[in-house]
Amino acid sequence: MAGKGGATPSTYSPSPTTQKTKSLSFGNDEVLRPDDREWHQCRPAFFQIGVVAAAAGSAYADFGSTKVIVSVFGPRESKKAVMYSDIGRLNCTVSYTNFATPVRGQGSDHKEFSSMLHKALEGAIILETFPKTTVDVFALVLESGGSDLPVVISCASLALADAGIMMYDLVTSVSVSCLGKNLVLDPTLEEESHQDGSLILTCMPSRDEVTQLTITGEWSTPKINEGMKICTDACSKFSQIMKSCLKGFDSALEEEDSNVD
Amino acid sequence: MVLPDASGDVLSEMDVDSFRRLFPLRFFETHLVKSTRPDGRSLAEARETSSALGAVASADGSALVKIGSTRMLAAIKMEVMTPSKESPDEGCIAIDFHMPPICSPTVRPGRPAEAAPVVSKQLSDTILSCGMINLKELSLISGKAAWMAYLDIYCLDADGALFDAALLSAVAAFSHLQIPVVSMNDDGKVVVLSGDHGGKEPVNKGKRKLTLSSIPFSLTCLLHKNYILADPTAEEESVMETLVTVVLDSSGQLVSLYKPGGPVLAYTSAIQDCVALTRQRARELQMILDEVTSGMEVD
Repeated sequence: MAGKGGATPSTYSPSPTTQKTKSLSFGNDEVLRPDDREWHQCRPAFFQIGVVAAAAGSAYADFGSTKVIVSVFGPRESKKAVMYSDIGRLNCTVSYTNFATPVRGQGSDHKEFSSMLHKALEGAIILETFPKTTVDVFALVLESGGSDLPVVISCASLALADAGIMMYDLVTSVSVSCLGKNLVLDPTLEEESHQDGSLILTCMPSRDEVTQLTITGEWSTPKINEGMKICTDACSKFSQIMKSCLKGFDSALEEEDSNVD
Repeated sequence: MVLPDASGDVLSEMDVDSFRRLFPLRFFETHLVKSTRPDGRSLAEARETSSALGAVASADGSALVKIGSTRMLAAIKMEVMTPSKESPDEGCIAIDFHMPPICSPTVRPGRPAEAAPVVSKQLSDTILSCGMINLKELSLISGKAAWMAYLDIYCLDADGALFDAALLSAVAAFSHLQIPVVSMNDDGKVVVLSGDHGGKEPVNKGKRKLTLSSIPFSLTCLLHKNYILADPTAEEESVMETLVTVVLDSSGQLVSLYKPGGPVLAYTSAIQDCVALTRQRARELQMILDEVTSGMEVD
């Protein structure tokens, strides 16, 4: 834990970083999850759109202690000197705040998540609708509490919808961790650190199409099938919540409009 | 009141939004002569301000502050360091201000905003020089261990008066700060004590809150001709460029005054007016801060 810069003395966090002792309790069927959820139950999800006034579209998502803000800018001119393109470009960046993780980080851009977010979204956006221009999607993880990437992806698609970018459908994403013989939906940071394998499924629920599927670790074929079933079910539930969030905002807008007229 | 000139004909058939975009300065001036602003405020009026404590659970102290649509999230993480030989019984505060690309269309990833390091430096100077925090309170074991308070402020939405919002969020985060109870383990490292204390004596018993004396409050004013506009929005800042930031502490003493150039050369009287406005604003901010911190004690 080296301090940054020359002048700053090196510091360390007084809180213990890893707690491997609790892992024993997970394999057991009778034990509930640390936050008293069922195995196939998501954390309470909250979505809000229009949180950043300076952006064309924005959304905030809050899954337990995972908190994310996504802003969308554009379509606007492409900044870099890039080749002419008949279709629009999508540019995604995911970054963490310094205080997002239990041990203070350096809050740099997360390259891997940025590229995963790009790949998860590009299939759903109708890029032909904004030729020669770029849509920027910037995500900031305010607090990391597990399942960060799926929350970022869902939140980003909501922000894109808020910005009025044409999409085939909302993109929702959810992850499942394999813990011993159990599959746990929407794992927390603690559960993720003990997992044997993880599966992230990103899909467009109304069209029954998967835009991204990431499987890591140890999985058997029946487990994968079961995991995907759980994920698709959860995704369609999320899309209901996200749609009602969008509609709620729209109805509020209509009221405002009618008042002005 | 439209001044007659060559573009007069065009103006008569232009709607308000286009006029605002094409002639922003004239748009603002037509408001200013009527002593009002496009968002309906009077010139000396600040935007609605609110604050919430404890927004970040993973931090030791945090606050979210809103001034109009400018939003700041400040969080403090406490870490342990070995104090320097010159000041063995003092801790340290490291303040960083960030403008992530989500906050404004002008910030792009990989190219940090110009304003960020400026505000960062101003914040450090203000907080460390106003005597709000006694660094001796951050000491744990003289010469061996002391707290390093990392304060990170993130701008979530940039709509003008960034320094004011950042300073208020920093102050609110310090007022929310709960220092963890720690003890020295056998390896000479400082560790957090969990519930039962494990038979160890905490080294910082009864020192869980910092005493905040003389809290700094600030107000940014915009100077344009003879007008003084308090708490400008991003649009106002981009159109009229002369800013004056005054910081006063809770007893009304001047902590800092910052006027980074600009086309308007201010008379002393204008500066005095800015200070008077800040004095008034400081009382408002003190009330907002008292309200949120008293809410905390009830919990």
